[in-house]
Amino acid sequence: MITLSQRLKKQQDQAVSNNRISVRDRLLARELQELSQILPSNCSVNHENVNDLSSFILSIKPNEGFWQGGCFKFGVDVTEDYNMVPPIVKCLTRLWHPNISENGEVCLSLLRQHSVDGLGWSPTRRLNDVLWGLLALFTDLLNFDDPLNIEAADMYRTSKEDFQRKVNEYVIKYAID
Amino acid sequence: MSEDPENVEKMEGDSAKPDRMFTLKKWNAVAMWSWDVECDTCAICRVQVMDACLRCQAESKRDFYGKQDCVVVWGECNHSFHYCCMSLWVKQNNRCPLCQQEWSIQRMGK
Repeated sequence: MITLSQRLKKQQDQAVSNNRISVRDRLLARELQELSQILPSNCSVNHENVNDLSSFILSIKPNEGFWQGGCFKFGVDVTEDYNMVPPIVKCLTRLWHPNISENGEVCLSLLRQHSVDGLGWSPTRRLNDVLWGLLALFTDLLNFDDPLNIEAADMYRTSKEDFQRKVNEYVIKYAID
Repeated sequence: MSEDPENVEKMEGDSAKPDRMFTLKKWNAVAMWSWDVECDTCAICRVQVMDACLRCQAESKRDFYGKQDCVVVWGECNHSFHYCCMSLWVKQNNRCPLCQQEWSIQRMGK
């Protein structure tokens, strides 16, 4: 039986989601433009569906460090609640990295929705910040002390040569553009 | 500086003690002012705080009076946002998104 309160709630939810879509889309239109303006030459943004701005693939070709020579694709999904919540980022290219799991989970503080330390997501952050964060995972933010892929971090600690060899192996197998 | 003119003349005549190369005769004080807020744009929705926030703009496109409900809120940290924007954020994290200080409201209004 459909009660009035249920129906009202449904209408309300619909109204809320409609508004959020439009807020998200307004922010996206601006932030994607900003992103294209600062995009370094070793990165690119591709929308699979040009009618849907909220989902795109960010490709990064690190020009220094262990992963140099590879092309790593990240799927970015900007959900309806953006910018109250961070975009959902998944690494689509398999790689050997202490802070990215082989399944593609990315460990980057600014992509955490809830944080006590103030390093997590905040609505003042933009897509530009997400790009810089992901780029830095291949250089400055690379962190062997708090790994997601524990095996990769252990390997680095035991032998940097073995680590680099395995990274290269993965790059050749999965990350050649 | 209150320097007796006679005194100055004496000092100029006294070649043994030229202890003052310059005397201050006049100065112009220049003052500047600005609004007591960090910035005039809401860092959450990126719309001027004096205008309706992005959410209110989306909701009440045709409602002319709808704008009046969208007020500005100042935190103890002196950062300002739209009240609508900030109230959504504090549900998740009760900190100022700009300085990470515990969020407490200093005042509200336009």
